Amino acid sequence: MKTRKMRVRSAKKLKRFATYLVVLLVALVVLVPYAWMISGSFKETLELQSSDVTVPGLRPSWIPRGPTLRNYREVNLTVPMLRYFRHSIIISLGTMVAATLLALPAAYALSRFNFRGRGVYTISVLATQMLPGILFLIPYYLIFTTVSRHIGIPLRDTYGGMIFTYTSFALPFSIVMLRSYLNGIPLEIDEQAMIDGCTQLRALWTVIVPLATPGIAAVAIYAFIMAWNEVLFASVLTGRSTKTVAIGIMDYITATGANWGGMMAACIVISIPVLVLFTSMQRYIVEGLIAGATKG
Amino acid sequence: MKGVSGWSRQRHAIAYWMILPAVAAMLLVHYIPMLWGFYISMHDVNLFTMVDWINAPFIGFQNFIDGFNSATTTGARALKALWNITVYSVVAISAGYVIGLAVAILLNQDFWGRTLMRGLILLPYITPDCVAFNVWKFIFQSRIGLLNRYLVQWNLVSEPPIWLIGPPALWAVTIASIWKGWPFAALILLAALQKIPPELYEAARVDGATAWQQFTMITVPQLRIVSVMLILMSILWNFNAFNQFFIMLGRDPGIAAEVPSTLILREAFTNLKYGIGSALSIVLMLILLVITTVYLYALRGTAGAEEV
Repeated sequence: MKTRKMRVRSAKKLKRFATYLVVLLVALVVLVPYAWMISGSFKETLELQSSDVTVPGLRPSWIPRGPTLRNYREVNLTVPMLRYFRHSIIISLGTMVAATLLALPAAYALSRFNFRGRGVYTISVLATQMLPGILFLIPYYLIFTTVSRHIGIPLRDTYGGMIFTYTSFALPFSIVMLRSYLNGIPLEIDEQAMIDGCTQLRALWTVIVPLATPGIAAVAIYAFIMAWNEVLFASVLTGRSTKTVAIGIMDYITATGANWGGMMAACIVISIPVLVLFTSMQRYIVEGLIAGATKG
Repeated sequence: MKGVSGWSRQRHAIAYWMILPAVAAMLLVHYIPMLWGFYISMHDVNLFTMVDWINAPFIGFQNFIDGFNSATTTGARALKALWNITVYSVVAISAGYVIGLAVAILLNQDFWGRTLMRGLILLPYITPDCVAFNVWKFIFQSRIGLLNRYLVQWNLVSEPPIWLIGPPALWAVTIASIWKGWPFAALILLAALQKIPPELYEAARVDGATAWQQFTMITVPQLRIVSVMLILMSILWNFNAFNQFFIMLGRDPGIAAEVPSTLILREAFTNLKYGIGSALSIVLMLILLVITTVYLYALRGTAGAEEV
C-alpha cells in the first residue's frame, strides 16, 4: 500500500520534472533570437565584421567583447531611420483612425440589422482575406499611376495613398473582430436608449461606443500594427517621402557593407511601439483573434 | 452567422448607409483592381505599353502560356516556384500545427509560471515580420552567424554552410517561418482546449481510459472544427508567403528558393512585364481556390466547416 503510494508520488514528480523541462525548452526556443538580437545591438561593428565561426578565438559571442551604445546613438547615421520612423507613425496612425471610423458603423450594421445581403457582404469581407496580396498589387499600382496622371492627385509615395491602401487591408478583419465584440452587447441596451428618445445613430454614439471601447481599442491597435508591419505593398508603393520602417530597415545591409549592429538596434527600436500597444490591449486582441479565426 | 438576430426590416436603409464607406473602400482596393487584374492578364502590358495600359493590345491567353513556358527563364522559375511553395507550405504547416498543439496541451496543464509562458509564446507572433526575419537572417549568416557557430564548435560540420544561397535557403526560411508561425496555432488550439468540458475527461477516467485514449477519443475530435479552420488559414497564408522570402533572401531569392510572390513581384516591377505578372498571380489564386474547395469538400462531414 505504502509502496504504491510512493510510486504514484514519484511518477507525479517525474511528470512534473518533465513538464518543467519542456517548458524550459519552449522558452529557450522562443527567446534565443531575441537574446541574439539584443546582444548584436551592443556589439561594435569591428567585432561583428572580424568574427569568424571557424576561428575559435573569434567566434561570435553572446556577450559583446566591448559593449557599446554606439549602434543606438548612431541608428540614424547611415540610414535615415528617424525619418522612416516618422513616415511609419503618420501612416499607421492615419490607418488606425480611418479603419476604426469605417469599421465601427459597418460592424454595428452587421451586428444589429438583419438586412438583405448581410450574408453576401460578410462572405465578401472574409474572401478578401484569402486573396494573395500580389494579385491586386499589380492592377492597383497601374490604376494608381493612371489616376495620378489624369486627375493630377499623386497617390504613389504619398501619405494619403498609403493610408487609403492600408485602411482597406485592415477593414475586413477589423469588421469581423468588432462585430463579434458588439454581438456581446445585448440588443436591449440600444432599444432602451431609443425608447428614451435617442435616434439610431445617437444610440450608437452615446451608448454603444462607450460600452464597446475595449473592442474598438483592440481594432484600432490591430490596424496600427498591420500598417506598421506591412512589407509587400510598401516595397512597391512607397518611395523617398513615405518609406516605412518595415522596408527602410533593410537599408542597413547593402551591397557595399552590412551594418548588423545598427540593424539589430533599429529592430529593437521599431518593435517598441508594437510591443507596447499589443501588451496594453493583449486580452482583447487575443480574444478578437480567436473569435475572428474560429467564428468566421 | 450566429449572434444577435437583429431588428426588423423597416430600419434597413440606415444599415446600408453604415456599411457603405467600408464597401466603397474595399471595392476600390480589392474588387475593382482584381477585375482589372483579369483584364491586364489578357493584354500585353509591359514597359512600352504601361503608360497607356488600358489600350494595350489584347493577346488572349498568351501571358499565361508565356508565364508557364518552361523554355523561358520565367516559365521554368514559375514551375519551380509552385513546387517550392508547396514543399515549404507542407513542412511549415505540419510543423507549426504539431508544435502548436503540443505546446497548447502543455500550457493547458497546471504548473507554476503558466501565465508567464502564455504571454511569452505570443512574442514571435507579435514581433513584426521585418524584425523577426532580419534577426533570423543574422542568425543564418555563414561566417558570423549563431547557428554556424554551434555547428562548427560542436564539430557537426567541418566547413560552415552557406545557408541563404541556393537550396538550403528554402530550409532556412522554412525554419524561421515555423518559429514565427507556431504560436498562432498554439493560441487558437489552447483556446479550443479550454472549451472542452472537463466532465468528458472525468467520465473517461472513471471508465479507465488511458491518457492516450483520452487524447484520441476526446481531445482530437473536440479540436476538429478549430483544426480544420486553422489549417485552412495556414494554407492560404503560407501559399501567399512573401515577407519571409523577401526579407531573408532579397528581391531575387534564386531559383532554388523562388516562390510565386517573389517571382511575380520581380516579373512585374523589375522586368516590367505586368501582363505576365498578372497572369501568374491569377493562376496562384486559382490554385488556392482549388485547394480550398477540395479541402473543404474532403472534410464536408465536419460540422461547422461550411459555415465559413
